[in-house]
Amino acid sequence: MSLLILVAVLMLALASITLKKTVPAMIAFASMMFLLGIYYFVLDEKLLGLLQIFVYTGGIVVLMLFGITVIGDTFPEAKARPWAIVSSIAVGAALMYLVTMMLPTMQTLTPHTSNQAQAFTEHYADFVLIFALIGVSLLYGTMKMVRFLRGKQHG
Amino acid sequence: MVNIELIFAILLFSIGLYGISSKSDFLRIFFSLEMLLNAVILMLAVSAHHWQLTQNLALAYMVIVLATLEAAAGVLIFMIANKVSDKVSPDAFNEAHQGVKHE
Repeated sequence: MSLLILVAVLMLALASITLKKTVPAMIAFASMMFLLGIYYFVLDEKLLGLLQIFVYTGGIVVLMLFGITVIGDTFPEAKARPWAIVSSIAVGAALMYLVTMMLPTMQTLTPHTSNQAQAFTEHYADFVLIFALIGVSLLYGTMKMVRFLRGKQHG
Repeated sequence: MVNIELIFAILLFSIGLYGISSKSDFLRIFFSLEMLLNAVILMLAVSAHHWQLTQNLALAYMVIVLATLEAAAGVLIFMIANKVSDKVSPDAFNEAHQGVKHE
């Protein structure tokens, strides 16, 4: 069951970047994200699955729909880049080698705690400040861009 | 079983990388970026589930937050680039920008 979901996820991922029409590509992308959410439910990570479905299938897909209103119903033609497939295969092969090498080490790791909130505060609490800084800089950039755009429109 | 799941995550990462390096319009680049981040989330979720590494699950939530921020900022940049230059691909936007520079 879970393998079938993962195969469908890969096929939908390929479809979403190879289809020529924007709306079918968008539907493939949304379905892929939804299936990943279902897969997390199968893994018994219910909160992660819910977040995946709410954030991706809900929020990000709606954001992308704004992009579709600008692009139209067909994607523009892409330049031929023959090195793209070679580089992605090379990176994939390198990652597979790394994961195979690290699997025995990963299996010996022991969990520090089973409480998610405690794990977060122990390992990643310091990153909250960095995330806040990223959020503030994005907000600042947004305001600057809106002002820039308004200036362009008024001449 | 866990190896197969990790291989699927790596394949998803490779598809995302292919999309970023071969496609030349903003929307498919966003799709591919989201695929890269989702491959990472999938790896973290699989490792958290099979080896009870709860800290990986906490990191997966943070990656989801980062992906949301990235999508919001990316769509905003795309809309503004399109308003300013009427282009929908980074290549065309770059060429138009170079043309303005040479003039």
